[in-house]
Amino acid sequence: MLKFFLNKRFVFIVTIFSFCNSFAQSFENTNIFSPINRLKFGNYLYAEKDYLRALEEFREYLKAENNDTVRFKFADCFLRIGRYEEAAENFKSMFFNSSLEEEAKLQFFRANFLMSLNSSSDFYSFRELTEKEIYFSDKYSQHLKRLKFISHLFDNSILPDTNEFFSAFDDSNYTMIKKFYLMKKYPHYKSQTTAGLLSAFLPGLGKIYTGEITDGITAFAATGILAFLAVNNFNHHHNFRGWLFTGISVLTYAGNIYGSIASAQIYNAKIKFNFRNEIKLYFEQRDFLLPQINFLEK
Amino acid sequence: MKKYFFFFLLLSFPVNAQNLLEQLNYANKLYKSEKYYDAITEYKRLIFFDTSKTFSYICNFNIGKCYKAGGKLDDAIKYFSLAEVSSNNSAEKYRAKIEIVKTNLLRGTPERALQILNDIENSTEFSQNLDSLNYWRGWTFIFSDDWEKAKFYFNKFQPYHELAIISQNIIKEKYSVTFAKVISYILPGAGQIYTGHIFSGLISFGYNLLFGYLTAKSFSEDRIFDGVVIGSLLWLRFYRGNIQNAEKFVVEKNISISNRVLNYLQNEYRGDKP
Repeated sequence: MLKFFLNKRFVFIVTIFSFCNSFAQSFENTNIFSPINRLKFGNYLYAEKDYLRALEEFREYLKAENNDTVRFKFADCFLRIGRYEEAAENFKSMFFNSSLEEEAKLQFFRANFLMSLNSSSDFYSFRELTEKEIYFSDKYSQHLKRLKFISHLFDNSILPDTNEFFSAFDDSNYTMIKKFYLMKKYPHYKSQTTAGLLSAFLPGLGKIYTGEITDGITAFAATGILAFLAVNNFNHHHNFRGWLFTGISVLTYAGNIYGSIASAQIYNAKIKFNFRNEIKLYFEQRDFLLPQINFLEK
Repeated sequence: MKKYFFFFLLLSFPVNAQNLLEQLNYANKLYKSEKYYDAITEYKRLIFFDTSKTFSYICNFNIGKCYKAGGKLDDAIKYFSLAEVSSNNSAEKYRAKIEIVKTNLLRGTPERALQILNDIENSTEFSQNLDSLNYWRGWTFIFSDDWEKAKFYFNKFQPYHELAIISQNIIKEKYSVTFAKVISYILPGAGQIYTGHIFSGLISFGYNLLFGYLTAKSFSEDRIFDGVVIGSLLWLRFYRGNIQNAEKFVVEKNISISNRVLNYLQNEYRGDKP
């Protein structure tokens, strides 16, 4: 037996085998387009936040190997570059037979939420998804419930009950969430009818009601001066000028009412716009109160 | 047996350097065929696998050029700065710095470009390369729309340089805002006619003449209210408007002249340009 192992031929075969093996490994390492090197480079690009290029590397790697982490990162690249639909699709493909099923569900809802936030004004389809049992995540159920509540602040849906709504948030966010909830439920809008009626009663008053004080005073002065000129010209028997100024003052008066209604509309649009921006900024800064997925940062 | 051993030993050695050189050629090929996105990917791949940082300068420099060609000027500056950091000698560093200057000009930040040029001049490292600094200073002033200084620096770089002559022509061709406003004060509409807007100038002159006459007539007939209303609401409005219009037309004309020349320089000028 020992003789056989010391045999020249045996030593030669073992040497060839080991060199072939080391050559194959070496080739794998030095070929910068090998799957393993694609993965290394993809991870580097991902860390550099060059997601568009990273996803191409991950795509090439996944053609040769199947790896849950890489599939997850691949989907996450779509999410990071704002291709939410593709992100959602790729996360969805990990809902079964994957070790990252729960995380994939979380990211799936994140992608759908961001899709609604950036492309349309309502979150009905997003909320419908959260109701579906097959998408339910045990691990992140609280986070997803909270995300669903947050979505109510962004569209025109009916707000949930206060107890249910506030219970989903931590104490650290309670004050701001309560403020947003009340702002959403009782927005400080100005009534267009009130603005119009006030301006009909006293020119410029509707504008002052909507916060346009200078415009209000100007409208009052302009209508007043024109009316005075009309009366004054009639009193001095300058009938043509009297009628001319009457016409202009009527137009100014009507314009002042119309302007006040428009001003109330603009005021309300501004309130709505500012509110949306404020909550968007608040939740974006806090990543929509969703948990970080730790392995992505490594 | 020995010869087999050496043969396998040779094969099992990593062929890294060769691979990287091939990768550089591949990336360069993509760059030359204007596939900038792919070229950037391949240069980045090369940087990642080039552990000895042999190709760091050329890759960062070319990534910068790709971003510049794609109009991503902030990214271009970032990579030219990385090239500057990874440069192997002062010539490479100077080249990277000049690219940063050029990209700053395209980005619309000529002040920063000028600051970098001043830093280069004050540095002892680049004493042999100072000739072209005045050339790039000239370009900086072109992008600042200061043709007098541009002419000065191009002449300093090389007397009667083509760009100095172009700058001189622009100075002659440009309109003066002060002159346009002064003649509009004296004769309403004259400033607009000076910039070639003859019809607008004549209309302006006509309005001022008419409302000036009506104002004077109202006062001479003791219709003070009419005089004040026509004078303030009509005559003064048109008088002020004529001066503002004259200024606006001069600014527009000057921008159009500058843009025409920049367009010429971009497409026709054969010398070095940002």
